[in-house]
Amino acid sequence: MDELKVEYETTQYIVIKIGEEQFGINIKYIDNIVRMQRITRVPKVAPYLKGVINLRGEVIPVMSLRIKMDLEDDEYTKATRIIILKLEQHGMLGVVVDEVKEVVTLGQDNIEKMAHDGKDDKVNFITAIGKHADSLISLLDLNAVAAEKDYM
Amino acid sequence: MDVSQYLEIFIDETKEHLQSLNTQLLELEQDSENMDTINEIFRAAHSLKGMAGTMGFKRMQALTHDMENVFSEVRNGTLKVNAEMIDTLFQCLDALETYLSTIQESGDEGTDDNEPLIKALQAHQGKAGSAPAAKAADKAAPVAEDTSDGYEKKWKNIKFGDVEKHVLTEAAEQDMNIMGITVYVQESCILKAARAFLVYKAIEEIGEVIVSEPRAQDIEDERFELDFSLIVVSEKSLEEVIKAAEGVSEIEKVLGEVIDSSLYQGGKAPVAAVAAESVAQTTEVAAATPAKATPAKTEKKAVAKPVVNRTVRVDIEKLDVLMNLVSELIIAKNSLVSASTVESNSNNTGFNEHIEYLESVTTNLHESVMKVRMVPIESVVNKFPRMIRDLSKKLNKKMELYMSGEETELDRTVVDEIGDPLMHLLRNSADHGLESAAVRKERGKPEVGSIFLDAYQDGNNVVIEVRDDGNGIDVESVKNKAIERGVITPEQAAGMSDKEIIDLLFLPSFSTAKVVSDVSGRGVGLDVVKSKIESLSGEVEVKTKLGEGSTWIIRLPLTLAIIQALMVVVGGEKYAISLGSIQTIEDISPAEIKTVQAKEVIHLRGTVIPLIRLSDVLDAPSTKDPSENMVVVIVKKGDKLAGLVVDELMGQQEIVIKSLGKYISKCKIISGATILGDGEVALILDANTLI
Repeated sequence: MDELKVEYETTQYIVIKIGEEQFGINIKYIDNIVRMQRITRVPKVAPYLKGVINLRGEVIPVMSLRIKMDLEDDEYTKATRIIILKLEQHGMLGVVVDEVKEVVTLGQDNIEKMAHDGKDDKVNFITAIGKHADSLISLLDLNAVAAEKDYM
Repeated sequence: MDVSQYLEIFIDETKEHLQSLNTQLLELEQDSENMDTINEIFRAAHSLKGMAGTMGFKRMQALTHDMENVFSEVRNGTLKVNAEMIDTLFQCLDALETYLSTIQESGDEGTDDNEPLIKALQAHQGKAGSAPAAKAADKAAPVAEDTSDGYEKKWKNIKFGDVEKHVLTEAAEQDMNIMGITVYVQESCILKAARAFLVYKAIEEIGEVIVSEPRAQDIEDERFELDFSLIVVSEKSLEEVIKAAEGVSEIEKVLGEVIDSSLYQGGKAPVAAVAAESVAQTTEVAAATPAKATPAKTEKKAVAKPVVNRTVRVDIEKLDVLMNLVSELIIAKNSLVSASTVESNSNNTGFNEHIEYLESVTTNLHESVMKVRMVPIESVVNKFPRMIRDLSKKLNKKMELYMSGEETELDRTVVDEIGDPLMHLLRNSADHGLESAAVRKERGKPEVGSIFLDAYQDGNNVVIEVRDDGNGIDVESVKNKAIERGVITPEQAAGMSDKEIIDLLFLPSFSTAKVVSDVSGRGVGLDVVKSKIESLSGEVEVKTKLGEGSTWIIRLPLTLAIIQALMVVVGGEKYAISLGSIQTIEDISPAEIKTVQAKEVIHLRGTVIPLIRLSDVLDAPSTKDPSENMVVVIVKKGDKLAGLVVDELMGQQEIVIKSLGKYISKCKIISGATILGDGEVALILDANTLI
């Protein structure tokens, strides 16, 4: 959650869509956005780990945000993208999203921190809500997104 | 002066010198009279002192200075090597290593002066003082100067070859003066070589220099300290020669003496020296006797002196970059190969030829880059004899370490990591393995225990064995301990094979030593060894026979980055299996499968081999009709075999191993991934974990 504390006046977010909901990812953690490509399945790993892809000669693990958030499995369409995140703790990680919409710039006054109630899994991935134009954007806590989760 | 840029070189070279000192000291302990060893030690200590001084590490310099002094006394024969002294010297080396690691971490040598060590060294030196002074007095020099003010008549240490002996004998016959001269250059002198050259020249004008120590070439290259010694034959008197030498500026002191024939005749000739005529006959004989001895000695020296390699120090990171580029090249080549097979038709044979050429070039390039990264394990195992020596004293057990295959080469990154596990195993053998001398005697074993460290290459692997002739592992004791610790239940224990029980040793927090010593016994050993070696994609196993000893076998892959692999298809997915672990590939009909203890096995040429259906292991449903013949890849791990059932074979390919990253580290059966020619990612199966 550190990333939000060290914010400057404004922060840029990439707005993605999963289902009907919009999420924002702090742009400084994004290495790349690539089109959907063949994912090589890795056996015996958590179901949200879709497998690995080849990104210019590097093998990068890819996870499904949908499964991690207990939503239905991804349906790959033309709009589906893989967002490659570069995280200090976990290294490179790809995240499958339904659609990438736009880049927005949010000022501090447009961001509202979230209080955790710990009940809903989905909520735990979100640190704040951003307001942009008329829409609300849930800002993702990437460390929570990347954190390992046990599925029994 | 800013010396930080030299720090890295300093650290590297200091390490080398310390290693050499360690080895040489061990040798000296065995053979305290060996002049070659003593000289080698002296040289190393001297270079260390010089380097530490240049880098401004005063404490390190002070310590090496005193060490050097002791060696210097030993070299001059005024001080005898004894066990106590060796101990002190080893402690000094440890202290130096501490300095070095402090320097490595912080760039500073720290504040420990190691006073007690310096005092101990000086005490050793002090003992030397009395003996040589008396000796010097005996040989009352014709010139009034004596050696008490710190100048020594070093020419006395000069050794004569046959030719020189002959020349000197002849000179003596012609009534020439034979004298030994030692010249000290002032410490402040900057151009020592130039001054030495002038002295040399001045003497040559009135006489002839027969022998010089160091050699003339070394003097010219300034490879000497403050003094050098000459044996001069001249018609002129000693005084004149000394005067000539002293005539050169910046010369601190010139010592000289007319020497008698006993010095150059190996001490065998009569003492009545100057009367050369009367001795002439005997000298001939005497000269002949040592002549037989000398060649043998020089030969030995030739072997002992390591040939200086022409090397360049390269940062390992630069090699990594090079290696990555080679990997990229191989991937690119693979894409070309797959592109050419897709569009293959008869009229582009020229294209294929070029591709084949490219293939052979990349393979060669890969091999040579790999070779550059390979270093002998010597650099790691060299420190073990010293460690065993210390352990032997600490544990009060007599033991000897025998090493073979130090020249076996491994990837640099592996060599850097392998030291600790090996050390653990050796300590383990020394502490738990070997029995005490009394017990050994009782069992009819030689009192001195033996530990063997053997390294050799076996196919695509390097095997390192640590073997001892000690007690071996007591399976019952391990079993009881495991039950006691709650690792297994007595019921479980009853059903376990000896091997399974021994494998318990590799579990964390398992130590069977009854007494916790500071050598081993904290239970942080074998599990660390195992995980470390597994992290290097290697494996460790143990063979043991109660009462006869145990053997720990470490297998490591020769290379880490690029391997030859067999590509297979399982359930529509492509997997790579390292060619190194594959024994054969068999075509098996379903009727041949037998069931033993609810496990599928096949009987192949006299051996029963368990079958592993990869489609089950990988959760990838097979696309093949179960009634069809199966493709079985027989893989081996040590002497165990297993048959992996796959759907289809794709062929052999050179693949670049890529890590799956930290994020997917849980999957044990997959050791990595590789990128195929068409850009697709294929996973690499670790056959070792399947068996």
